[in-house]
Amino acid sequence: MTSFLQQAFNGLVSGGFYALLALGLAVIFGMLHVVNFAHGAIYMLGAFGAVALQDTAGLGFWWALLLVPLTAALAGMVLERLFIHRLAALDPLYNFLLTFGIALVCQDLLRMKYGAQSRPYDEGPFPGSVDLGPFDYPAYQVFVLGAAAVVCLAVWLLLTRTRIGTVVRASTERPELTRALGIDTGRWVTPVFGFGVALAALAGVLAAPMRAVNSGMGADLIIAVFAVVVIGGLGSIPGAVVAGFAIGMLQALGNLYVPVLSQTSVFVLMAVVLLVRPAGLFGKEEHAL
Amino acid sequence: MILALLDRLGARPAWLRWGLLAAGLVSVLGLPWVLYPPVAADILCWGLFAVAFDLLLGHAGLLSFGHAAFWGTSAYATGLIAIHAGVPFPLAVAGGAVAAAVVAVPIGLLAVRRSGIYFAMVTLAFAQMIYFIANQWGDLTGGENGLQGIPREVPGLDLSDSFVYYYAALPLVLAGLFAAWRIVHSPFGRVVAAIRDNPARARALGYSVDRYKVVVFTVSAFLSGLAGGLYAVNHGFASLQEVYWTTSGKVVVMTVLGGIGTLWGSLLGAAAVVRLEDWLSTSGFDEVGIVTGSLFILVVLLFRRGIWGTVSYLLQRRRAAGAGMRSAESGNGTVRDPAAGDRPEPSLVKEP
Amino acid sequence: MGHTWSKAAVATAAVVAGSLLAGCGGGGPGSGGGKISDDGITLGVLTDLSGVYAELAGEDAVTAVEMAVADFEKKHGDDAVTDDIDVISADHQNKPDVANTRARNMYEREKADAVFDVPTSSAALAVANVAEQSQKLYFNIGAATTELTGESCNPYTYAWAYDTYMLANGTGTEVTRQGGESWYLIYPDYAFGQDMEKEFSTAIEEAGGEVVGKDPTPFPNDNFSTFLLKASAKKPAPAVLGTLQAGGDLVNVVKQYQQFKLKEKGIQLAIGLMFDTDIKAIGQDKLAGTMFTSAWFWNVDEESREWAERFREEAGTWPTFDHAANYSAATHYLEAVQRAGTDDPEEVNKELEGMEFDDFFARNAEVRAADHRVVHDAYLARVKDPADSETAGDFTEKVETIPADKAFGPPSPDCSMS
Repeated sequence: MTSFLQQAFNGLVSGGFYALLALGLAVIFGMLHVVNFAHGAIYMLGAFGAVALQDTAGLGFWWALLLVPLTAALAGMVLERLFIHRLAALDPLYNFLLTFGIALVCQDLLRMKYGAQSRPYDEGPFPGSVDLGPFDYPAYQVFVLGAAAVVCLAVWLLLTRTRIGTVVRASTERPELTRALGIDTGRWVTPVFGFGVALAALAGVLAAPMRAVNSGMGADLIIAVFAVVVIGGLGSIPGAVVAGFAIGMLQALGNLYVPVLSQTSVFVLMAVVLLVRPAGLFGKEEHAL
Repeated sequence: MILALLDRLGARPAWLRWGLLAAGLVSVLGLPWVLYPPVAADILCWGLFAVAFDLLLGHAGLLSFGHAAFWGTSAYATGLIAIHAGVPFPLAVAGGAVAAAVVAVPIGLLAVRRSGIYFAMVTLAFAQMIYFIANQWGDLTGGENGLQGIPREVPGLDLSDSFVYYYAALPLVLAGLFAAWRIVHSPFGRVVAAIRDNPARARALGYSVDRYKVVVFTVSAFLSGLAGGLYAVNHGFASLQEVYWTTSGKVVVMTVLGGIGTLWGSLLGAAAVVRLEDWLSTSGFDEVGIVTGSLFILVVLLFRRGIWGTVSYLLQRRRAAGAGMRSAESGNGTVRDPAAGDRPEPSLVKEP
Repeated sequence: MGHTWSKAAVATAAVVAGSLLAGCGGGGPGSGGGKISDDGITLGVLTDLSGVYAELAGEDAVTAVEMAVADFEKKHGDDAVTDDIDVISADHQNKPDVANTRARNMYEREKADAVFDVPTSSAALAVANVAEQSQKLYFNIGAATTELTGESCNPYTYAWAYDTYMLANGTGTEVTRQGGESWYLIYPDYAFGQDMEKEFSTAIEEAGGEVVGKDPTPFPNDNFSTFLLKASAKKPAPAVLGTLQAGGDLVNVVKQYQQFKLKEKGIQLAIGLMFDTDIKAIGQDKLAGTMFTSAWFWNVDEESREWAERFREEAGTWPTFDHAANYSAATHYLEAVQRAGTDDPEEVNKELEGMEFDDFFARNAEVRAADHRVVHDAYLARVKDPADSETAGDFTEKVETIPADKAFGPPSPDCSMS
């Protein structure tokens, strides 16, 4: 039982990363109808941002947690204005292709600069462990889980309790209706893109103390995140978050009980969801592009 | 001078059509005389792969980001057949292509339940699953060591020289290219194009849209498998690289570079990318991804018609200018020949 | 507007066409190499110039081979078998298909007489295959698979530096003998990891230890908590956690090993495959005290230090075992050519097979005729505490020498040279 609880907790921690990344994808998709292939690359850049701050300016984890997502948001907005925006009128697949190209270039630029080897990063804050009742757990990972949950909750509140949020949510979940009501969603496009990018960069900073920081760290992750959003339903913000945490748990428990399936389980689940509910667990049928 | 020539090309009388075909055949036949033969053979394989991919993207409007699954499945299957059954390599490659088609059926059935961007993500995810399976199933695939020592045999021929192998593989590639061309111009191909342009109308006309999509998906996978098998035989092994997502990405780059929906443009795109990579890896600049990635970004931003599409668009414009009143955009809204590349902008799928 | 677009489009088309044609004209059909000694000797270094092994091998592996050539020329002067020795290099990006094409290109077009290095097992196996077909020599340095001296062995391929048996056997045996008797093994679930696990388990049991648990882990994987928790939940706790992960996964394991405080719970960490580059990636302080097996490190003895100093003047960095082994292999290849008086591979093989030698890299070494495995002393090593390091890059200290006959396994029955 203890080991089950421990594994479930592990799953929640990795689920936190899925949730943050899927959330960013979902917010961007909702507003721009663009699936950002470069999301994994931005996660990687976030982690490298933390490493670079430490190496060049001697700024630690907390500075990185503040500065890196802000920089990423700015860079994301520039990217949106310079490139994504140009293709907005066309089939969204063009932006998917564009961001794929951007991901390739980012990954290789970083590799050229830092090599393909992992970069060292300090242990981060909270070196100790926390007594969670039946077991001890590394404090930093508890912090990561908490941070992911808080961010997801905050985004949810932002979306449900503020005017901007209402507009974003409306155009995500009822795009036709929003347009029909004459609400101008255009001016929110750039900031929302920046915001989604910042979430990915934040996930990257959180990963730096506990995961290997190298130029390839985002590439494989993003494919699993794609499966997560297909399962959750890309048009749905709660869907992205719930599916993120759930799939983290599924993988961790899979590691424990059926190790052979631990990597393929997310894809098998995706197949099942496509059979049963093609629009995703939380998706609405009309949203299926 | 060149413009005048282009002008005449644009008119495309019958003799010129045949002339183009002949020029194409001559350059395919002459390739291993100007290029290093193993590289020339790579261009053949990637070219067929890109054409098979364009059959799906350009003509059915389905962007698969998981075509490595079929290329790779066939590479492994071809290798296993060639190693264990000892049959001549064309038979092994055919077996590999069938294996790719078999894998494609369930993936296709599931993936066509979504379209557009979802289709891309779902195929990518399934291909990643195939990758993990290939990696774990080391007894069969050799894991990360790869499946080594795939023989290259045809009774009565010494294929150890890549130059000879090129010509041994060429008929299979030409057959694959011909099949792709026939499909595009067949009644089946026209239905597929109609589904791409307006799925709702096709459905209303009584076509089983999903079934058509699955069939064209499977055919594309079969042809990709043909290419993947020939590639595995060319190199003498199949490795995890063949099923990795970078391979899926590479074929996307080739097709977009060559021109979506132009079929033959994909051949050019494949040749350009293979040649570029070969050149970069000897030139001392090792960051292939930066170059191909940047090139790809440029094409997506500025030249969405790709090489073939841009050239034939320019020819059209000149012809239109020559004819005076006719607009170059006249392709829009009329019955279009998808292979002619005369569309003003390649359309992928309609927005909902 | 439209006009400028079309101009730009023509320009792109021209660039693409240009890149297609650039550098054409070489090759041609059937340009196979002959048995030539009159036009000199060409050594090809096929290595990773841009990927994960670019630091371990990479550009500096080329430097090492160039040093070997310069030293050879200095030593033999006018008596050298040829005064025209070239070193060429290419990047194989750790991809077997690229390695295959590049190796063929080196042998056939660039007339390389021998190819060196080739990190990454799948790529090395592909090159061994090409070497056999082209009947030219290949000296594997960077790849660890025992397959090269097992089922895939051939008369043209040598394995100079290390292999998975050496890594597993050294660490497994020696750590067990030093008191780490109960082991928990985690290994990546693919061929390399599975081989390593078998060899580790055998070594541990033969040394009187016990494997109390083992888990395959997904590859790649960024969350090892599951396995770390399982290991620490064992009662009684295992003395050693053996991690057989490599590269980025190894970094993940070590970071999480520390966060889960396994060391404080009395579980030591032993690493199956670790290079100097991994120590840099993780941080020396975090690894201090960790034991691993190494084919060579620059600070192991006086002779090695002397060579390392010379290397550092050339390359600007301390050499890795890969660099040293490239130097050693290139040197002995050239000496063999010198003795044979020809670069004919069959004649060179006669000189090399069964040769016993001793250089700074390979102590008490022998080139086994049966499988072309070069056996030599290996070292059980420990990561130094940063406080004990004499200079930057001085990561490692020797715990024990593993004699050549124990360091490598016996020739594999799967290998037949004919």
